[in-house]
Amino acid sequence: MSALQYSIETRNLGRIYKIRGAKKEESKTLVALKDINLSVKPGELFGLLGPNGAGKTTLIKILTTLLSPSSGTAFVAGLDAEKEPGKVRQVINMVSGGESSGYGLLTVRENLWMFAQFYGIPTDEANTRIKKLLEIVGLADRMNTRSSDLSTGLRQKMNIVRGFLTDPRVLFLDEPTLGLDVGASRDVRHFVRQWVDEDPTRTLLLTTHYMVEADEMCDRVAIINQGKVLACDTPAALKQQLQKNALFEIKVDSPIPLDKDTIIKTVGVQNCSITEVDGGSQIELNLAEEAHLANVIVNLTAQNARILSLQKHEPTLEDVFVKLTGLSMEEVENVADDDPTN
Amino acid sequence: MLKSTSMRSFLTSTWLGWQIESNWADPFLFLVYSIVKPLAGAGIIVVMYGVISKGNFDTPLFTYIYIGNAFYQYVAMVMTGVSWAIIDDREHYKTLKYIYTAPVSVPWYLLGRGVSRFLIATFSVIVTLVFGAVFLHIPIQISTIDWTLLIVSMIVGVIMLSLIGVLLAGITLLTVKQSFFIGDVVAGVFFLFCGVIFPIELLPPVMQTIGKLLPVTYWIELVRRAMVGSVAEAFPTFINVSDSQLLLILTGLTIIYGIISIIVWRVCDHRAREEGLIDWTSNY
Amino acid sequence: MMIQPIKDRLAGWRLFLMSIRGRSYPRIIGMQRDVTWLIFDVLMPIGTVAAYVLIYQAVGAPSEYIGFVVVGGAMMAYWLNVLWGMSSQLYWEKETGNLALYIIAPAPMMSILLGMAIGGIFASSLRALGVIIIASWIFHVSYAVTSFWLLFLVFLLTMAALYGLGMMTSSIFLLLNREAWHIANLAQEPVYLASGFYFPIKSFPFWIAAGASLIPLTLGLDAMRQLVFPSGSSLGFLSVQVEVFLLVVLSVVFIAGAKWMLDYMERLARREGRLTDTRK
Repeated sequence: MSALQYSIETRNLGRIYKIRGAKKEESKTLVALKDINLSVKPGELFGLLGPNGAGKTTLIKILTTLLSPSSGTAFVAGLDAEKEPGKVRQVINMVSGGESSGYGLLTVRENLWMFAQFYGIPTDEANTRIKKLLEIVGLADRMNTRSSDLSTGLRQKMNIVRGFLTDPRVLFLDEPTLGLDVGASRDVRHFVRQWVDEDPTRTLLLTTHYMVEADEMCDRVAIINQGKVLACDTPAALKQQLQKNALFEIKVDSPIPLDKDTIIKTVGVQNCSITEVDGGSQIELNLAEEAHLANVIVNLTAQNARILSLQKHEPTLEDVFVKLTGLSMEEVENVADDDPTN
Repeated sequence: MLKSTSMRSFLTSTWLGWQIESNWADPFLFLVYSIVKPLAGAGIIVVMYGVISKGNFDTPLFTYIYIGNAFYQYVAMVMTGVSWAIIDDREHYKTLKYIYTAPVSVPWYLLGRGVSRFLIATFSVIVTLVFGAVFLHIPIQISTIDWTLLIVSMIVGVIMLSLIGVLLAGITLLTVKQSFFIGDVVAGVFFLFCGVIFPIELLPPVMQTIGKLLPVTYWIELVRRAMVGSVAEAFPTFINVSDSQLLLILTGLTIIYGIISIIVWRVCDHRAREEGLIDWTSNY
Repeated sequence: MMIQPIKDRLAGWRLFLMSIRGRSYPRIIGMQRDVTWLIFDVLMPIGTVAAYVLIYQAVGAPSEYIGFVVVGGAMMAYWLNVLWGMSSQLYWEKETGNLALYIIAPAPMMSILLGMAIGGIFASSLRALGVIIIASWIFHVSYAVTSFWLLFLVFLLTMAALYGLGMMTSSIFLLLNREAWHIANLAQEPVYLASGFYFPIKSFPFWIAAGASLIPLTLGLDAMRQLVFPSGSSLGFLSVQVEVFLLVVLSVVFIAGAKWMLDYMERLARREGRLTDTRK
């Protein structure tokens, strides 16, 4: 399909960072993205899911014209993000989680008005939109509060309003619910979904490392790890791949660290990840058939592990991730190299 | 050996201040910066004097001006450095809140930042003095410098400047990040009152009195005497005051200003915590 | 629909002006909400000017030199506004994350920089006026303005060229971080020296003065002094007419250069991944 039929399209997109001050020759560069091929249609709420350091923010920076790719191309609303950044900026906006925007000395309304000016929105219209959006996110009563007097969560709400205020065709949300409480996160997710649904020309790309968020909100999800897209499909289709497998969660208490290799080599085990938790180790098992569970139990008993609990569960995107990478999100983050994008 | 909280705070922040001030560039660029900036500052005085005197720098007045201007770099850098640390840590690095919540003595932490600026200023001062001695015939000779007086004056001086810096740091806790910084501005006011580049007799009597109440006036006079004693004698301001008397006055004023600084710091610190300004960002 | 699409989105020169207004707003409001700047930015700098006046008095300089210091001290406010209120401000914007939001907005970066500068120009002008009025009164400086309109033209051209230069130098902050802040810090005193804030630039050898004339304030100050002091023309570097012409050239070159530099540096910074790099 041509670029015009997609809101976001990347073709063999790559980005390599030079690491300043690196001593060893081989570690002087970091491959943040490699051969990313994504296509997002207008009207889609597209999720980019992956652990910290996977390359999500790098991809967003390229698509929002903050960063040039090292190879490949990126198109936003049919425009080349590298060659036509000025035109791309007229139709996009971005909200990053965990960052404040604007100036502490200004009120919420003043900060938002200021950003509206940068997008050519006349004052009257800007004020109307600001009022409406603040009501939607539950910040209307703090409109005239200085933003330095807001809590982290409320500042993030203001940040989110800033993103929607300018009526972008393509909106990028980079971990938008970071810093929000459970209730606020739920409200934001509901609002985001509604915003995409009410206008088929709007597109939203959301990055998150919360599986639940991606599962609940996104039409399609791309799972990314170490700069590569491992899978891209609807959440249901991704989980469907594991349906035929049996997924178990076993909590054990063991006098010595568990030998993961022997568990993986056990007949019937497709994948296995082990995480240390309070009171023991948690094993996430992906078995070809339920019957192979007995083999695993025998193996654990041979390692003098005492089984504390055993649970079968429906596949989640986390399980999809484990299947694709062999590690849980947490394990990947624990062994991640330094990421110069952070 | 366990260090006290104060000593630990002081030593760590001295190290930190040095790291912040010195490793932002490769050594060559840092060297250029450390040479060009002080010489440009001295150049203004040199050109101003040279225009009027038609290039005759062999006068006691020029030596008086040049030495005062050279050592004045300590005043600006140490006072600014201590109070700037508040802005830097609060708005740039956003670590002020972590310093406050750590078992650290904040005034000692600030004093350490002042000392690191003192060390960096020393290089600039030496560059300025050497340039003056070599190219402008300032009569500085290693053999005639009163090293004891110089060292003692410098020790008392850096303590005095750091303490005034703490006072300004307290005020900075309560003010926004300005384009022109309170440390620089107060240093500019001292520039006027303290006999740095002209004898304070040129000021109206009221302003002379103000000058005599400021410790920097005595400190500048002391370092001048230590560096070029004969020249310092050419000016009447403290003609009847001996070196030890000047040192005593400087020490006494340092103690007084130190007490005022600590009181002001405590008041401002309390107010800043009351109003939630420790992790404030005021940049606009 | 929860929120309607935007009916009238402005672009082109209207967007340019709106962005200037938008970015100047925090400055203007900030000055109203915290008035300590009146003391630090207006009253206290008079002390520094007074100190340099007293040097001239100590060395027995002719009285017009006092006036030179006062005018130079007043104009310094604009140089500092350009250096710290505009150029280096981008460093703070990068650190706080606002720079990324400015970059991805359709507003041109020049308009945002101008907004910063214009927002601070009120304080700068107040500082300049304060120095002129108070210092002139204290030190009995008298003026003899030969042509007010020519003086105003020189002032405007100096500002245009100066702010154009400021925008050019701002562009390095897109690429660099703390190094750029130190470079700006480094530029302060050499510009005081080269531009002749406190002495006539004619004191320098011709070619040094000519080189220094690339800084708009050099020619601007020299021309202004010739227009406001009776003996100004005898201490002027070039004639006022020549200096006006050169200021026009500098204005055009620097403003055009600013557009080019900002675009170039932004492209370079995007390639190097430095636009959002907050390496401290």
